[in-house]
Amino acid sequence: MKSLSDLQREFCDALRAPGAPSPVLMDELLDDGTAPERFNVYRNNFVVLNGDALADMYPTIRRLIGDEAFRSLANRYVRTHPPESRTLLLYGDRFPGFLESIPELSRLPYLSDVARLEFAWTCAYHAPDAQLLGRDEVASIAAETFTRFGLEPHPSMHCISSDYPAYRIWAANQEEGSEETISLDSGPSHILIVRPGMEVETREVGEGAFLFLQRLQAGDSIEDAFDMAMQSDSAFDLAEFFAHHLFDGTFCALRKPRT
Amino acid sequence: MGEAEISQPRVEAPVPMRAGVSLKAQHYRTVIDRHPDVGWFEVHPENYMGRGGPPLGYLERIRRDYPLSLHSVGTSLGSHLPVDREHLGALKELVDRFEPGMVSEHLSWSHGREWYTHDLLPLRYTEDALNLVVAHIDQVQEVLQRKILIENPSTYLQFRDSEMKEQDFLVEAARRSGAGLLLDINNVYVSCSNHGWDIEAYLSAIPAQLVGEIHLAGHTVQTLRKGTLRLDDHGSAVCDEVWSLYKDCIQTIGPVPTLIERDSNIPEFTELLGEATVAGQALTAAGEKYEVAV
Repeated sequence: MKSLSDLQREFCDALRAPGAPSPVLMDELLDDGTAPERFNVYRNNFVVLNGDALADMYPTIRRLIGDEAFRSLANRYVRTHPPESRTLLLYGDRFPGFLESIPELSRLPYLSDVARLEFAWTCAYHAPDAQLLGRDEVASIAAETFTRFGLEPHPSMHCISSDYPAYRIWAANQEEGSEETISLDSGPSHILIVRPGMEVETREVGEGAFLFLQRLQAGDSIEDAFDMAMQSDSAFDLAEFFAHHLFDGTFCALRKPRT
Repeated sequence: MGEAEISQPRVEAPVPMRAGVSLKAQHYRTVIDRHPDVGWFEVHPENYMGRGGPPLGYLERIRRDYPLSLHSVGTSLGSHLPVDREHLGALKELVDRFEPGMVSEHLSWSHGREWYTHDLLPLRYTEDALNLVVAHIDQVQEVLQRKILIENPSTYLQFRDSEMKEQDFLVEAARRSGAGLLLDINNVYVSCSNHGWDIEAYLSAIPAQLVGEIHLAGHTVQTLRKGTLRLDDHGSAVCDEVWSLYKDCIQTIGPVPTLIERDSNIPEFTELLGEATVAGQALTAAGEKYEVAV
């Protein structure tokens, strides 16, 4: 009789392997002639349960490549990258890179960017909650010192950029029966994902706003972040950006200037 | 989801002698808006181990109006590897925050390597496995500072070297650890059918006073080369045979808080509510009979 630890290790290895379990493991099972079929239930459960979690995480990818192709990729992914966490909430972090590594998908070069967007969406969904930046907090500091402060983006915020129109591809696939045609040449996209309350908000922003937010997220002051943004996008209008986004939940606090 | 909402008073923690329903994300709004007449709700704590966001916010809101049970799938009580302290810590945080009336886990294992299967895998019923399970239950109960319930699993295979019957292993694990039992009638039906075990012998080995909760769920049937296998997928309505076993069971052991469990093919909420109503009527009938008999 195998030790419990050996038995469980071999059981796990056999769940993950694409082929039939070893005769040594099968010898541990009570067999009325159906033991291989019985073990297969567990092998199947392993890829289906974890593959379902992946399908929940990546509904747009599934729609773009179809159920059958998705399921087959999910099986491969689950066997290659089995879950490393006790919960399945964020299972599939390596799926975008995995999609890039599949030669058959090379004619869909935007796929991994759409996957990155979907992963960020779920990260935002489960991110910590936070108080939103209030008008009182901004009013409490001298106006001329404002740009020396930093701004703390909401902890749920993710910035995703793509060389392809990933946002439009994603958005067109959020509704059933959308027939929109999107040219892959229609330029790069800069995507902002944030969840100020119960709803995850996904929107496309200009390059300037995108860089500005990324710099703020990295800890820059408003003026430094603005300078960086202007170097790449001279059309970036800070006043206009703040008019829309300073108090809409994009930010949760002012950060004191470095001394 | 702010502080003000969290500090609102909530209903008492104990789960009443009524039927409860699995709380699924698809039904959050229905439950909050329509406030259905359900005795209590049950969730998998692992689905609430994110750092924030809507799941925790909705659960906080729903907990105000309903008692709650936490039904864990992640502690891997039967694993040869140690219980994960971080996971246990996260479970303890949820227990402290939501004050569930009951906490339960499965008699199974899911963790045998450095990665996780996220399935409920079968145990070899031996003395060394029993010692391990009891030690792990002790550890969970010590961290949570409360008694937990252990659920009988659905299994599809048996190990050649098992030394005891599942029901004896289960009862002994509960006795030695002081844990209670979560009797899943569908799992009893599925496992007995899959292995040719005697259902009556299984159920009569379970002492009534250990049973703190009952689960009811649906299953599917798969054809094998020889015979059939019942698969516990929690994806359909409770079948007639399981209803009938359930009614007999609570007539014998007395009423026990009963969950209508659903984890896949989630239907409209009213469908689950309909099943909960049937279970509720059976509980009332069993209660009346039980009171007369006692």
